[in-house]
Order: sequence, then C-alpha cells, then structure tokens
Amino acid sequence: MIVPALIGSLPRPVSLAKKIEQYSIGRLSEEKLEEAYVEHTRRAFVKLKDAGIKVITDGLYRWDDIFNPLIGFIDGVEVNGLFKFYENNFFYRSPVVRGELSLRENPIPEWLNTALGIKEEVYPEATLKAVLPGPVTLAYHSINEAYKSLDELAEAYAGVLAELIKELPVGLVELQEPVLAAELSRATREKSDSVSRETAKRLIEDLSRRKELWVVTYFGTPRVLPEGVIVNFDLVEGSVPERFQGRPALGIVDARKTKMERRDRLVDKLKPFLRRYRELYVTPNTLLDFLPESVAWRKLKLLGKLGGE
Amino acid sequence: MELPILPTSVIGSYPKPRWLLRIYSLYELGRLQEEDFREAIRDASVAVLREHERAGIDIPWDGEMGRSEMTEHFTARISGFKFYGPVRVWGNAYFNKAAAVSKLEYSEPLVLDEFRWIKANTTREVVKVPITGPYTIAEWSFNEYYSSKEELAFELAGILNKEFKLLEREGAKFIQLDEPAMLNHPDEVPIAVEAINRAVKGVNMKFGLHVCYSNYNLLADYFDEINVSQFALEFANRGFRDMEFLRKLTHGELGFGVVDVHNPRVESPEEVARAIRKVMGYVEPERLYVNPDCGLKLLDRRIAYQKLVNMVRGVEIVRRELKRAGRETIPFRRSA
Repeated sequence: MIVPALIGSLPRPVSLAKKIEQYSIGRLSEEKLEEAYVEHTRRAFVKLKDAGIKVITDGLYRWDDIFNPLIGFIDGVEVNGLFKFYENNFFYRSPVVRGELSLRENPIPEWLNTALGIKEEVYPEATLKAVLPGPVTLAYHSINEAYKSLDELAEAYAGVLAELIKELPVGLVELQEPVLAAELSRATREKSDSVSRETAKRLIEDLSRRKELWVVTYFGTPRVLPEGVIVNFDLVEGSVPERFQGRPALGIVDARKTKMERRDRLVDKLKPFLRRYRELYVTPNTLLDFLPESVAWRKLKLLGKLGGE
Repeated sequence: MELPILPTSVIGSYPKPRWLLRIYSLYELGRLQEEDFREAIRDASVAVLREHERAGIDIPWDGEMGRSEMTEHFTARISGFKFYGPVRVWGNAYFNKAAAVSKLEYSEPLVLDEFRWIKANTTREVVKVPITGPYTIAEWSFNEYYSSKEELAFELAGILNKEFKLLEREGAKFIQLDEPAMLNHPDEVPIAVEAINRAVKGVNMKFGLHVCYSNYNLLADYFDEINVSQFALEFANRGFRDMEFLRKLTHGELGFGVVDVHNPRVESPEEVARAIRKVMGYVEPERLYVNPDCGLKLLDRRIAYQKLVNMVRGVEIVRRELKRAGRETIPFRRSA
C-alpha cells in the first residue's frame, strides 16, 4: 500500500514571513507572532488533510533552515556566516563549533506540543513527525574549531540530539541526513575532513533506539544505510541501492522543478517497489522550500493521489 | 583615466528607504499610478547615489532602487518567462523565481533607463552597472522549455550581449556581472565560463565578475579563461580565511569584499585596513579594488551607510601608507 507523506519543510508563507519580520523589528508582540504560527500551521494541516498526506510534519514554519534555530540552543556553537545549502539558491547560517557541545533549554518540544494540539483538532488521523537535522549532516555543515575530527564532532552532535529526542512528544522523528547521499558540496567549500561510514551508521542506529527514526536523504543515492529505520530515498536524483533491506520511503515528486509530473508515470515508477514492499511511503524528493508555495501544494496533491494504490 | 589607488565601490544592492518599500507595496496593490511609482524610484535612486558618494565611494551605483530583486528584475523583462510565486532564499528573504516556459526573447532594454538616470545624476566619472549573469539567471530559474541548462544559459548570454552593446553605445564604462551561482555545480563551471564569455563578446568595456558564498578554488582554475578584468569576491563572511587561491590571480584585478553584509556589526576602519594589508600579501595594491562582500540590501540602512563610511576610512588608512611609498593612483583598465 502507498502512504503519501511529507518530509521536512513546507514553503514558509510570505504572510507568515511578514509577521516574523515585524516581530524582529519590535512591531509585533510575541503573543501575536505565536498566533500567526498557530494559524498558519492550522491552515497547513487542513491542506495536508485535503491533499491526502498521511504522515506530516509541522512544516518547519519556525525554522529558517534545517539547522536554525536548533543550533542556537546548543552550547559550544556560535551561529555565523551564510553558506549555500548544497547547490541551491537557499542559504543556511553556519554552526561554528567553538567548544564542547551540550543542549541548552529549548522550545522545540513545546512547539511540537502546539502542533500536536492543532493536528488533533483538524487532522487527528495523521501521524506527526518531529524534524531534526541528523548528526552527520550537522557535522559536515559546521565549521569545526573544537573537536579533533569530524567523527568526534558528529558523535557530540548525536549526544545533543539523543537528549533532545527523548524530550519530544512524538513517537516518530525525522532526521534530515542529506549528507549520507550528497557529501558537502564542493560548490560551497573544500571538504577537509569526513565522517566515516561506520560512525555515521552507528550514530544513527544508536539514536533509533530512543525513538523510531525516519532518515531523509536527498540529492543522490545514500552510501550509508542505517538499519532499523525508515530510509527516504531521492528517486529523482538517486536510487534505492540493491542491498537495501529495510523500510523505504521514496522521494518521487521533484521538489526542485515546477513542471508537474504525470500521475501514470509516477505509478509506473513505483510498480517494481510495490512488488517488493507491503507498505511504501511516497514523498517529495527533498525539501519543498525550493518551490513556490502554490506549486508545492500542487505537487503534494499529486502525491496524495498516489495514496492507497 | 586615473583612479585613486584601492578604488572603492559597491557590489550593487542597498537597503531601500522605508518610504520606497511602502511605495512598492502600494504599486503592487494597484493603488499607485505607474508615473508616480517611477518618479519615486528615481528620487530614491538619487538619494542612494548621493549616500554612496557622501560615504566616499569612488565607483557608486544607486543601490538597485528600481529592481525588486537581482534575477526577477531581468526575468520580468525577458519574454518567455512565467512567475508562479516567491521562493525563499533564507530567513524571510524571498525572490520570484521565474520559469522559462517558451523561447526567451530580448523584448525591451533591461537596465538602460537606470544607467541613463544615474549617469545624469552622479558626480563620479565612472559608475558600476551590476547585471545578473546568464548562468545565474539560468540556474535560478525553473526550466520548462529548453532541453538543457546549457541551452538556456547560452540563450540568456545572447540576450545580455545585446544589452551590453546598447550600454556601451550609451557610454557605460564598467559592468559587473553578478554570477553568485556559477560555482554551484562544479561540473558545469565550463558552461558558466562559456556563457559569460559569450555575453561579453565584442563589447569594449570593463567587466567585473562577482561571485559569492562559494568555493573559490573552483573559480581560480578559470581566472585566465574568463574575459573579465576583475573578480569581485566576498571575504569578510568567511573571516578572511582560505585566501591561498588568490595566488592564481596573476593578472586580473580583485574586488576585495571587506564588509560582511549579513552581520549588523559595523567593522572598524582599523579592521578594514588590517584586512587590506592581509590581502596585499596575495595581490598587489595596483590590482585591488575594495568593496563590501555583496549587496547591502538586507541591512538596516543606517548600518549599511556606516559600513560604507568605515570601509572608505579603512581604505584611507592604507592609502596614506601607500602614499609614503609613492603609490597613489592606478589606471582604469578596461581589458581583461
């Protein structure tokens, strides 16, 4: 059976961005900003329901990118410099690791509680995932000035995430780990260090003992395949490795192109997988941030139409 | 023509005055006549031009007051593009990412009016005309029509070439090609280089190339193959780290990015001077221009202005040092 699902973010609506901007210059109260987040999340959940998306996220409306604001809640990290997120015209603020990492008090569990409340109200039958950057992707996208190796840095990030994951009020956690498929792009900077495949696999599998994990990879075929987790593959720019034995989610709708896919062609592409797997999650191939909002929703509706096949 | 050593310039964009942002909103809502909108842009243009001149910038521009965004301004004027809506770049910054849905055609001048207005109103001999390059427009558009990005980029190069010839006839001396995306796909850098060379072909003008937030080692391999005389690159954002690639810049000029445009902290003149002294270890001062890392438009306007003022003051510190060695002016070089 095909289960349509969302991964990562929805495009932040411009109307919400305007509220955030007003808040940042002191022209909107925190309460009014919170109302805006709740209202936009509610609208998103109603639209996800209408589109038939069964597994959802909160759309990351409170996030500027997959690292921020989380890295602002970690001691030992400074947020500095703007870097391209892979080869997209989409930028993230870079974590600069200056000391030992530890998790500070943070609002992420509360944000998810709020989202859960909205979901129960408008779309109770959906499953809500938390979304966090994975330890390996965090390590690669950091400027490491404190740890001896990237392996050690990834380990430290995993420690922080383990602490955070146990506080989350949901049973399913999505880890954004594009770096498993597309190591840090040379487009941004030279890679001087790497996380070993063994370490990457072990760290993710260790985290999966705390909560069920949905590991999202994109921009290529993952070279690391953690076990005991759902792995999201990008079928537009990559493939599912032959040796994969676990539970797959397939990124089948192109979230970096406006051109709409044909439903019959998507179904044809899924047929071989339907023969192999009893349950198949289908998703966009990457974050929907790369699309205009109207096109992103059209793509989600198309995805929803694949449900139940 | 001679310029003071270490000529100062801007990269392009500058914060729009708040009143102008309101004018844009009113115009988008259909509550303002075209004529009034154009007049407001021209007034803002002169205001910012004066602000640049007051800060002491040698080669100014008007901060792109008439441009909504660096790619949208061009895709909106080239027929064959369609808009589906804004796409986020970071935080709360968006741009209207266009989709090429039919053959692209040069249907109207892209920046000619801007150039004429600024030329008529500046006190400076040279202004810099920033224009988004063919590869970046291709890369930052959706492609629903062309068989490849290469085909799309080359089509855009031909369109820009027409504009450059027009600007040359009007007396423009210095065009900056903005190609922030040209290193996005390491395998496609040769396509970007070819597109740039096609765009500038047959135009006798000074061309600069601005690339930012990228791995410059990929660019350095092509320094000698790109037909521009200056590379304007960002360094403050990366803390002036990793400058070794500049050893490969043996002939061209460097537009040295010395002001971080994503950080509201205003650099001191001494910091600017220190950074310039550091880069002079790689590129001699006769081949150095000084500018902010990138466009300043995301900063508060007062902060943007103070950054320019301090940048110029920092340059003046180094100029005094160079003057003692008899190095005071450089020629304005046109050719690559």
